Amino acid sequence: MNRLSFGWTLPAYSVLLYAFLYLPIVVIVLFAFDAKAIPGLPIDAFTTDWFSASLGDTRLVGSLLTSIRLALMAAVLSTALAMPAAMVLAWRPVRMKSLVLCLVLGPVVLPQLVLGLGLVVLFRAAPDLIGAPAIVLAHTTMTSSYATLMLYSRFLGFRRSYIEAAMNLGADEFTTFREVVLPLVAPSLIAVLLLAFTDAFGEFVVAWFLAGFTETLPIAIWTSLRQVISPKIYALSALVILVTLFVSVSAQVWILGQSRRECES
Amino acid sequence: MSAAHDIPRRRPLLRAALPAAGLLPLVLWQIVFFVVPVALIFGVSVWRTQSYRLIPAFTFDNYIAIFARPAIWRALLLSVETAAFVTVACAVLAFPVAYFIAKKAGRWRGLLLVAVIAPFWISIVMRVAAWRLLLGERGVINQVAMTLGLTDAPMSFLLYSPVSTAIGLIYAYLPLYVLPLYAAISNIHDNWIEAALDLNASPARTFFEVILPLSAPGLVVGAVFCFVFGLGEFVTPALLGGGKQLMFSQVIQDEFQRRLDWPSGAAMAVVLLVLVFAALALSMKWIRRASGETGL
Amino acid sequence: MTERSPNAVELRAVSKVYGASAAVRDVSMEIARGAFVTILGPSGCGKSTLLRMISGFVTPSSGDVLIDGVSVLGAAPYERDTAMVFQDYALFPHRTVAQNLAFGLRMRRIAKDEIARRVEAMLELVNLRGFGDRRVSQMSGGQAQRVALGRALIVRPAVLLLDEPLGALDLKLRKQMQAELKTIHRDLGLTFVAVTHDQEEALTLSDRIAVMNGGALEQFDTPENLYRRPATRFVADFVGNANLFDARIGGGGRVAADSLPLTLDLSAAQRGGRGEGTRVALVVRPETIAVGAAAPAHHDCRVEARVDEIMFSGAVQQITGHLPDGTRLTAHQSAALPAPERGATAIFSWPGQSVWLVDG
Repeated sequence: MNRLSFGWTLPAYSVLLYAFLYLPIVVIVLFAFDAKAIPGLPIDAFTTDWFSASLGDTRLVGSLLTSIRLALMAAVLSTALAMPAAMVLAWRPVRMKSLVLCLVLGPVVLPQLVLGLGLVVLFRAAPDLIGAPAIVLAHTTMTSSYATLMLYSRFLGFRRSYIEAAMNLGADEFTTFREVVLPLVAPSLIAVLLLAFTDAFGEFVVAWFLAGFTETLPIAIWTSLRQVISPKIYALSALVILVTLFVSVSAQVWILGQSRRECES
Repeated sequence: MSAAHDIPRRRPLLRAALPAAGLLPLVLWQIVFFVVPVALIFGVSVWRTQSYRLIPAFTFDNYIAIFARPAIWRALLLSVETAAFVTVACAVLAFPVAYFIAKKAGRWRGLLLVAVIAPFWISIVMRVAAWRLLLGERGVINQVAMTLGLTDAPMSFLLYSPVSTAIGLIYAYLPLYVLPLYAAISNIHDNWIEAALDLNASPARTFFEVILPLSAPGLVVGAVFCFVFGLGEFVTPALLGGGKQLMFSQVIQDEFQRRLDWPSGAAMAVVLLVLVFAALALSMKWIRRASGETGL
Repeated sequence: MTERSPNAVELRAVSKVYGASAAVRDVSMEIARGAFVTILGPSGCGKSTLLRMISGFVTPSSGDVLIDGVSVLGAAPYERDTAMVFQDYALFPHRTVAQNLAFGLRMRRIAKDEIARRVEAMLELVNLRGFGDRRVSQMSGGQAQRVALGRALIVRPAVLLLDEPLGALDLKLRKQMQAELKTIHRDLGLTFVAVTHDQEEALTLSDRIAVMNGGALEQFDTPENLYRRPATRFVADFVGNANLFDARIGGGGRVAADSLPLTLDLSAAQRGGRGEGTRVALVVRPETIAVGAAAPAHHDCRVEARVDEIMFSGAVQQITGHLPDGTRLTAHQSAALPAPERGATAIFSWPGQSVWLVDG
């Protein structure tokens, strides 16, 4: 610890900032219990009716299930694309590596709006794909960038001697992968899957452009935000937010613990 | 035969092909679904429309046309201003927290860092919906302010204005700024800060001459992300900004989807891309120069 | 196969070139079956590259590698009958000690009960009985070293490769493991090839040592020959301590040192067939030098030098001195002998027959 101490100001400020970050979340969860039809302060009566109402709303639940299904596909696809590529990038000499990295990371900095519109133009050539397939393809493009980046850094930190030891003892490339690489990177792989799922699940702009008649949860919420908002939306959002927080926090804590263990060994 | 040859041999050709096979699917995917769409935007931006039909051509008329419309100029300016303001605000807001997590949080730093980033993973639409509850005329902030007697009438500028857009964007990108700042600040050795204080530098001078320059890489990386994302963000201005003062992204979307003038919308998208690219190139140049100076 | 090659490993003029620089240059070596060979050299001398060529992780740019008399150039690491003990041990962290030991046997599709039997025997051999179910993260440095050794030994490889095997251990543990390694080598009769930068370790462990420098093989010989009859100036200097004096071979086998007031009569064996006029360096080991007021009778090489420093280190005292022209001398002599006075002039002397010549 250094002597440059700010007394109580730094912790106090940090508490305020965390409050700012979690205020909207608290408000949504709070209003999900508000008995009034149009939520607002003060909250006089609490109810859990909105939760059952939202889960009974077939359209809303349908969009939730659509989102889960599509995000699951995008997460699996992007991880499947990212993992072999990250391994090659981290472990093998690759010609024009910086070009490949630019290609892989481009979707991160590209405004989603522009990617979405570009895909709209592209899918004019294949109008049958508009809807669920186009959304999965687009989300895979976006999440595979993050996935590749995260797995790339994991594989960079992977001890090469584990692989050499396995091969030296008679394991071929595929056996080495199955017996040594996969079990050791499995936690990172799961974390990447979870984060890719979360990202694809919540993405709105690109999905909206390519949706056709498909309705994901963010699209359903967007549509309802343009009308009078039913508290059902807040109830469902509250549920989704809590699950999202749980998933993303546990995925990241997992990665953190993993890297810490790697440092110790 | 010795034991070695009990192990089956695999063709060396397959072994040599493995790296390419690993990389190829992702590269092909990104070419089809990332490079081609961006190229298409560039392509369409020099086409023409005639009665809502696209006609291949090579004309810069779309570019000339958009710069002839003052509404588009205003939107572009508002977007750049807002993104710049959001970037500065995020830097100022994020710095103390990043410093706190990096230097003062002890064993809690991992959890605190995760807690900063966690809201980022919640769907943007839900986060923006929450801000509507907070900022509306009958929203939480106005209700509380009126109950406390801070204001008589609800503050109407809070929602459907550039202010609300800025608040929404700051909220959205603050986590993105804390992350690189945290990384930069944790790289500053406590010894260096100690040394400055031992040499009788005041805390303020220590901050400006030691801590701030050494966290510059984090500041720059965070600024780039904040600015680039803020510039192109669509959901936040669309839901919080109202329909009076449009941001550039809203104009582009409007041009594409409502007016169905793809060439004109594509030309605007290209302008946005050029701005994004310029911001990236500038920061890359700075980072390269800075890392060249320190020899890292 | 009709006749088994007597050599476990044979390197034929192997080189490895990375871009413009050569990590290994034209190295040839025959390693007899059952030998304990150490490749010794400073860091960056190419010794690890050589080891990795044998294991198959590095493909030579030219030359040939033979294991058991068969070229393995096209064979992947898992197709070669070698097993390696890694510098960082590389024990699989997601496996127990027993599972680590069993790995190589599983890859060779050996029956389960046979694997269990051999794992138990190996735990016994490396003094880890009862540790089979431990996680490798629970092992101490010395224990992890034994697991790594056992994991490689259990497959009974044609060649066991050891990459700085004791480098991560502290001095006391290292001494103990050296003795164990030597015992295991003798008991199992396997071929061991180790890489180290620690010359003392190399001298203690090996039957033969390959000294490498700058990618080239300087000398491949027994420890004793390496020490007594170094082939090059580098070997003389790197293995043990040496006083090196530039000299020239004169007429009649006489050798005149440039900076010593000495002319030596050397035998033809000592001259190694070098002709008149050849530039050479005299190698005088410090322990052959006596320092005192007078020289022992059989010490026919004598110089007078001023004593600079006397360093006492237990059984031996190291005495450094210099001649009037600045040439420095180092002597090691028993601490039981009287030490000369610092700053005084003393006679440094040694027998001429203990002198060795290397090319200057």
